[in-house]
Amino acid sequence: MIDHDRANILMVDDQPGKLLSYEVILAPLGENLIKARTAREALDQLLRHDFAVVLMDVSMPEIDGFELADMLRQHPRFQKTAIIFISGVHLSDLDRIKGYESGAVDYISVPVIPELLRAKVSVFVELHRTNRQLERLNSDLERRVEERTQQLRESEELLRERADLLELASEAIMVRDLKGIIQFWNSGAESLYGWRRDEVLGKPLHEVLQTKFPGGYESAQAALTETGTWDGNLTQITRDGREVVVACRKAFKAGGSAILEINRDITAQLKAEDALRKNERWAAMGRVAGIIAHEINNPLESITNTFYLLRDHPSLDEEARYYAQLGEQELHRVAHITRQTLGFYRESERPVEVSIASLLDEILELRLRRLEFENITVEKKYRDKGTIQGFPVELKQVFLNLIGNAVQAMPEGGRLRLHVFEPWPRNIQQSLVCISICDTGSGIDPEHAKHLFEPFFTTKSTKGTGLGLWISKGIIQKYGGSIRFRSMPVASGHVTCFQVLLPNADFRCIEEPAQAFPQADPIQVLAGGLDGR
Amino acid sequence: MAADSTGVTILCVDDEDLPRTLRKLILEKQGYQVITATSGEEALRLLDRGGIHLVLTDQLMPGMVGTELTKLVKSTKPGMPVILISGVNEIPPDAIFADRFISKVGGPELLFDTVAEVLASYAARTETE
Repeated sequence: MIDHDRANILMVDDQPGKLLSYEVILAPLGENLIKARTAREALDQLLRHDFAVVLMDVSMPEIDGFELADMLRQHPRFQKTAIIFISGVHLSDLDRIKGYESGAVDYISVPVIPELLRAKVSVFVELHRTNRQLERLNSDLERRVEERTQQLRESEELLRERADLLELASEAIMVRDLKGIIQFWNSGAESLYGWRRDEVLGKPLHEVLQTKFPGGYESAQAALTETGTWDGNLTQITRDGREVVVACRKAFKAGGSAILEINRDITAQLKAEDALRKNERWAAMGRVAGIIAHEINNPLESITNTFYLLRDHPSLDEEARYYAQLGEQELHRVAHITRQTLGFYRESERPVEVSIASLLDEILELRLRRLEFENITVEKKYRDKGTIQGFPVELKQVFLNLIGNAVQAMPEGGRLRLHVFEPWPRNIQQSLVCISICDTGSGIDPEHAKHLFEPFFTTKSTKGTGLGLWISKGIIQKYGGSIRFRSMPVASGHVTCFQVLLPNADFRCIEEPAQAFPQADPIQVLAGGLDGR
Repeated sequence: MAADSTGVTILCVDDEDLPRTLRKLILEKQGYQVITATSGEEALRLLDRGGIHLVLTDQLMPGMVGTELTKLVKSTKPGMPVILISGVNEIPPDAIFADRFISKVGGPELLFDTVAEVLASYAARTETE
């Protein structure tokens, strides 16, 4: 760096003639020459400018050159200022000069040889100039270092903020190296998977999570390597063994040394979508069923009536009567099926008080003749009226179904027992009504037990849609109740009991009766053994 | 419940011929007298002539539907039993005005039982009055 600034040179001498001569000698150097006649003037100038070199006459009245130099040496700002003493060569002077070890010091003896003076001054000026350059470079460098440090500080702050944001993210954000070893695990990952950071760092990611890739691990890796990113749904296991489905996005970190993975738990979302789809299907089925029902019911009635008229018609011979009977039987089955599947009655708008005991009596009344005919004795034990708020038609459907099943289980006759009571222990907050329907029929095969409440499951070969119990269970559940059964062998055969529990609460929450196709889900079944009644 | 059909005349209303005819035939087989109408309006005219003990009407008919007919009958002849019979599964809200609402899928037995029950309850009522 070439410095074109002119350096300042201070010339101190009490004799103006000498100052002039120095001026003339040094003029060719092209620098700034400043004169001072006394030490005090010199100090004044020194305070005002920055000098490359001070030319000092040793012998001055008042404060001489040495004294001035001493003063300078004490002042931190001027400690390093270059000084050239102008002196007659006295031994004592020389010694003195040599005593100045700090700073650039030189001397020139009188009479002054112009070239020598110029040379010496030039040297110091150059020295000064170089020093200045160095200083400037230094401060420049220092400035740059300070800027850089500030930048680093800012980016560090930003990283810290981002790391905090990563912690705020509810998604699981993880980083793993190319071998799959976990390097970063945010708090979202901790809450999604249940593994703490310190438990998983250093472990293989897909082993910890037992990840199942839809197309296999290799194909996912291949896609990732090819395009740099991959997204898809994965099935993983949490720390407590729960299966979750996550929407995953993987990407290579810049540089390709690690893989960033961001996972969002979509298990609940998928379940909700699934349930919604199912509901829509049920609703659609319900609508179709309604249409079919109406279209079928009308001609069905006519045909049924026709067969009724044919029954025992005098003009029919035995063979024709037989055919008519067959037709009527099959038609009866069609009616039964449509009643069960399509013929779901809509009820009164609001729930009313229903006495279960009375409901059972109504059903028995309807079937009285048939029961007598089939050799079935009926035992009623109504310890309670069993009054609940509900919809009578659907409740009647439930017990019609259960009593119907019981009767059908006893083709050779038997005993039908109906109990209505409040079960022990009595709960103060909520009273329950328990209705038990028992038969002495053929019992329930343990193999069938687990399927009993499933739709389309039936053990009746000729009749039965397999929907009765499923529909009944749906209705009972809607009341917040439960149904269970037990079947056990006894000396004379089997005893099978179905027990319905209905809370005797005020059902303000029930707005409308059950839909035609209730949702099915597993129930507890007691098969075999007494349950302490 | 033995059905006493002697001297009982039922008005059977339905816009569709076959169903109406067949319903009439089975009721006659059961021992009832049956008069038919193809619409609510015709039914009302026939009722005015008198001699009818029970109205059995279909719900879905063009013009006046069963529930409308029921309301009109009940408002002019409160002592007249009315039974609604239908192929629809949804009980219309006004069905409450009828004495019973039964499904066509219930079969002849259901129809006979319901008619007998309703007639018996009305007979009991008039006895106590």
